[in-house]
Amino acid sequence: MSEMSVSVSAPTVHPGSQLLPEAPAKVTARNLNFYYGEHHALKNINLALGTNRVTAFIGPSGCGKSTLLRIFNRMYDLYPGQRATGQLLLDHTNILDPKLDLNLLRARVGMVFQKPTPFPMTIYENIAFGIRLYEKISKSEMDDRVEKALRGGALWNEVKDKLNASGLSLSGGQQQRLCIARTVAVRPEVILFDEPCSALDPISTAKVEELIQELSENYTIAIVTHNMQQAARVSDKTAFMYLGELIEFDDTSKIFTSPSDRRTQDYITGRFG
Amino acid sequence: MAVQSDVIDDAGPYDRAKALSAFKLGDVTFYWITRLSAISVLLILGGIIISLIVGAFPAMKEYGISFLWTQRWAPSADPPVLGALGPMYGTLVTSFIAMLIAIPVGLGIAIFLTELCPQWLRRPIGMAVELLAGIPSIIYGMWGFFVLGPFLANTFQPFMIRVFDGVPVLGAIFAGPPSYLSLFNAALILAIMVLPFITSISVDVFKTVPPVLKEAAYGVGCTTWEVVRSVVIPYTRVGIIGGVMLALGRALGETMAVTFIIGNSFRISSSIFAPGTTISAAIASEFAESDGLHQSGLILLGLLLFVLTFFVLAAARLMLLRLEKKAGK
Repeated sequence: MSEMSVSVSAPTVHPGSQLLPEAPAKVTARNLNFYYGEHHALKNINLALGTNRVTAFIGPSGCGKSTLLRIFNRMYDLYPGQRATGQLLLDHTNILDPKLDLNLLRARVGMVFQKPTPFPMTIYENIAFGIRLYEKISKSEMDDRVEKALRGGALWNEVKDKLNASGLSLSGGQQQRLCIARTVAVRPEVILFDEPCSALDPISTAKVEELIQELSENYTIAIVTHNMQQAARVSDKTAFMYLGELIEFDDTSKIFTSPSDRRTQDYITGRFG
Repeated sequence: MAVQSDVIDDAGPYDRAKALSAFKLGDVTFYWITRLSAISVLLILGGIIISLIVGAFPAMKEYGISFLWTQRWAPSADPPVLGALGPMYGTLVTSFIAMLIAIPVGLGIAIFLTELCPQWLRRPIGMAVELLAGIPSIIYGMWGFFVLGPFLANTFQPFMIRVFDGVPVLGAIFAGPPSYLSLFNAALILAIMVLPFITSISVDVFKTVPPVLKEAAYGVGCTTWEVVRSVVIPYTRVGIIGGVMLALGRALGETMAVTFIIGNSFRISSSIFAPGTTISAAIASEFAESDGLHQSGLILLGLLLFVLTFFVLAAARLMLLRLEKKAGK
């Protein structure tokens, strides 16, 4: 915990970050290691995601950012030969517990992927589907929940007249917001974004970024991104990873103005990566 | 560099045009070869239809439309009485029961192989399914005749007959006496024969589902069953139905194995444990010894199978269109 103590206020990047006090940890990793078969992909990761804060993960390709994200909801469990050791807590729940109910974990820790992944069903059903997995509610309640989720995904005005059209008929940016709405609809506590804007045009990107900011009022957010401006714009804390190690983890403003590690400095100034 | 540009200068525009025109000739030839290959399919299909119609014409003239709903098949009567109802009924019922068994089992195998199966078991099961497709149909016929038929007649059939005795409708469908040769035995053999089609096509299309889409479904908290039911199957619907139609086409037309075990009886019975016949089985067992009107009647049966298959496949395609509309495409 020592390495994430409040830093002295640095020149501001994300206007909100200075005003926010240090948040209690929602997700805590201690000595977290990850292996793809023999390959040691993550080495001794220690960090904490603050409650209702946005934490950005940056670093060159293959540094383990996405891998780390996929441990938070145990997505790696789908593939044989991948395993994690160490400790990873969601509040007081041990995420790595083999007996943990994965479906419940994934209801608490939602994920938005690099490519939009609408399910092969209508827009309405895309949202209602996730809700129905956990709750039995009436048609009118469901209508409300779907509308709320779509509003939450900043998509309602664009799709309210075609809720019965296929989710696949939307544009890429709309599809991604549909996926965010779908994730929000399940009422998770943590939302993981794995390069959510890398397949989107600048306008859609701006919309999604705005959405992430809004969501951070109610959700703990982790975002992996290759776009450093994006990390600077949306996040409160930034983690720089390199070759499977967490090099530096600090306030976003500090990372982007006066990083303490040489490698972070080199990366954010574009000298490698 | 200099040498090269000299060559090009020497060659001039004329030679280049000539070289291009040689390509053009090749293109034209290629176009016509492919086009003729495609046209030949139409010609062969048309030829088959025409010769079927010509061959069936005497029977058509003799029996007219009532051929379709006459159950009696008495080629040696004078004049011969021929009706297609028995074989048509048998064809549809055996195919229907076969699909009823093969679709869930085939899809189940495919789901297990792609979503649940441990890696080391995948290849043996996959290969076994493919080998199943390679067994000649006559062997299925023999196995059905010598092994499956007696087994069913001694165990499964008496059991079902006892259980459903006195139940309305079902009692009539599962009625005795048990028989080595029956519609049900034929349907079961057909189900085993078409299983590999459904499974291997489903496995192939299941593999086309993007892993990230499945992860997204797991990501909102789906179980494997929910992922398969709500994402994998809807995503691959078109491919699965394609596989099912291929299987159905085979089941409707399968001849040798069915001829062995169906009993070749033209009488329609409500019980699926009673012997029956299918169109192709009727043709196969009688064609060699037929002549005159009898032969023409058999050809007419063949034409009917053609039409029947066409309608069944067209209906399947219509269903597919309606499904797509429902999914909001």
